[in-house]
Amino acid sequence: MSERERSEVSHEAPASGQAQSWGRRTFLKGVIGAGAAVTLVGKVARAEGELGFWGKDLSSDKLTEMFTNIVRIRWHERTMVDKMLTDPKYRGYNHFYAGQEAVAVGVCSALRNKGAFDEVDLVYSTHRPTGHAIAKGIDMKKMAAENDFRATGINKGYGGEMHLSDKSCGFIGADGMIGPGHVIATGSAFAIRARGSKQVVVVFGGDGTYATPHFHSALNNAALLQLPFIYVLENNLYHQYAHYSYSCPMKDIADAARTYRIPGVVVDGQDVIQVYNAARTAVERARAGDGPTLIEAKTYRYYNHWGAPGAKPGELGAFGYDPLAISTFRPEREVRAWMQRDPVDICRNILISWGVLDRAKADAIEAAAKREAVEAFAWADKQPFCKPEDGLKNVFVEGTVAARQLA
Amino acid sequence: MAKKSWMYSVLEAVQYEMRQDKNMLWIFELTPPVASTPGKPVINLEKEFGRKRVVNTGIDEMWMAACTLGAGLAGSRAVTYIPYQGNCMCFQIIQNHAGKLRSMTGGMASMPIVYLLEMTGQTPGFAGQHSDYEIDTYYAHIAGVKTVVPSTPADAKGMMVSAIRDPNPVVYLYPAGLRELMEEVPDEQYQTPLDKAAVRTTGSDITIVGSGGGMPELLKATETLRQQGMKVEAIDLRCLKPMDTETLVNSVRKTKRLLTVDQSYYTLCPGAEVIARVAENVDGARFKRIAFPDAPPPAAPEMFLWMRPNADHIVAAAKKLVG
Repeated sequence: MSERERSEVSHEAPASGQAQSWGRRTFLKGVIGAGAAVTLVGKVARAEGELGFWGKDLSSDKLTEMFTNIVRIRWHERTMVDKMLTDPKYRGYNHFYAGQEAVAVGVCSALRNKGAFDEVDLVYSTHRPTGHAIAKGIDMKKMAAENDFRATGINKGYGGEMHLSDKSCGFIGADGMIGPGHVIATGSAFAIRARGSKQVVVVFGGDGTYATPHFHSALNNAALLQLPFIYVLENNLYHQYAHYSYSCPMKDIADAARTYRIPGVVVDGQDVIQVYNAARTAVERARAGDGPTLIEAKTYRYYNHWGAPGAKPGELGAFGYDPLAISTFRPEREVRAWMQRDPVDICRNILISWGVLDRAKADAIEAAAKREAVEAFAWADKQPFCKPEDGLKNVFVEGTVAARQLA
Repeated sequence: MAKKSWMYSVLEAVQYEMRQDKNMLWIFELTPPVASTPGKPVINLEKEFGRKRVVNTGIDEMWMAACTLGAGLAGSRAVTYIPYQGNCMCFQIIQNHAGKLRSMTGGMASMPIVYLLEMTGQTPGFAGQHSDYEIDTYYAHIAGVKTVVPSTPADAKGMMVSAIRDPNPVVYLYPAGLRELMEEVPDEQYQTPLDKAAVRTTGSDITIVGSGGGMPELLKATETLRQQGMKVEAIDLRCLKPMDTETLVNSVRKTKRLLTVDQSYYTLCPGAEVIARVAENVDGARFKRIAFPDAPPPAAPEMFLWMRPNADHIVAAAKKLVG
């Protein structure tokens, strides 16, 4: 398959005007029923010998768990959006992951997420971390409490959304900056290689990271040292409010991998099975000591960069003018076109077509995920606020610092 | 004359200079140079001057800082606007290159460039990496670079004009917490010096010195203290390097009491330098500084708002010093 064809299959959302007037589920049923786009890239990739096709061999339990995590993330995000829009007492500021769920779940499903700290695989995340955190195994209730700065939050109210972390499942954490986290992640991979602990390190980054000097540093050093390192670049087309063509001269950022003589794989980030296949291949490679991989997942976020401008309570997605974007914003048709290839629907339909789930079971899983999210935010609402003077703690391992604002 | 925000005032200054100097450049990421204000035309530098002169880069603050310096070394005026998330990614270029090149070239290098660095720490909840109010301390320490921090839209305009016309590299700090401040700002181009503090109120009981994003709370405290009968001389530092020692010393010679207020961390905050300079020159004065504790700003508003010096903290400290 030519590069151009591959890009088109994996990257472009269907833009059929008719598709937009159908329900998203109805539309996808048609597409998947015809055996179209969803599995095409996976098959082609296998023919090229680039990727294994592991997804079909997974147990029904594992596949069900993947669908469950996708809808858990989806409903966590939707509940958080509604919270932000309707509850004036909610203090969190959030970057929503809805639309990208298949990337987090596809990657983390190929990782070890339980066990001792020197056994679990490590994940470095971004300023849009909640999906990665859930897929890795963070406690949703404690994360919701952290996002509202409660004393019993996962990071005791010190971190907030952009600095979430949970060592117990190997979620090293969110990072509000663009670039440095990727290089730091190679340091963890370096230590792992030295101690021979067979862990792998995944860093998630957006399309904006390509422009940073850190992108080069991370991949170059990982390649030179053959580190157990996987760079998952979620290309959702926009860094903040700028299209990725402002930061990258090529269409596929994965092309950059050639420079470092490491595998660079483009996957359809809306299809959890494709993402899993690529991640699993990269993980096996890394664990075997064969070095790093760059995976570019073509995906899309349903909300704007930050907060919920353009969104309405109870409705999925945000459309139209975003005052924070100042002079540029995403065309509504683009958002709606991408929503026609929804990662929840794609996963659901694959599992139904494979006989893993039936519609009733899938509906029940989604209903349970919604309940879990609503309960998590309700629990968070009841948690205690932080004590002011605790701000002087956790600066060093020992002791507290002086209150210099007081005379 | 019209009411203008900080950013409108700055872009008005830049627009005028870019119209005069066809080689002048503006380099940004993420934040387009666009501003509007009621009754005035929208300013859009990218639209007006085109993408050859006004560039929207990828996320790469090191390049932004280096590109600005390189443009200056090649003889073009340049300004870069670096948002708060990245305002230390460019540190090396400013500290080890821009700051030293004049000296290293024996006075040959001219660098008519401005680093407009956004700083925050004003918004509770941003926390950790998105709170970096301490960069005034870092940048003010660099030799060979002028560092200023205006606190009003009128100063923002006049000091931007001076910064652009200055042949030295200028770090121009923008306390983003002041983005909604509006005041009457002249339409015509004017300069505000890059080495003068501003005496905001005159008084004989105590001198209170602050800067940047801390000024609104400092002035609020000054008003509270005035109502309680204390005569406060409130000074807005504006220029961290060079620092206006004369204005500070003259004030404390009169009041014999000096309180400094910083949102930067306590250790080595600008107030520490203010106190040192005054102590060297004034006998018999009493001193106190308050600042953000030496702790990363936590997310929870209960912790953060208690730690950031506010009007109540300032009033209490002033009373302790005067009483």
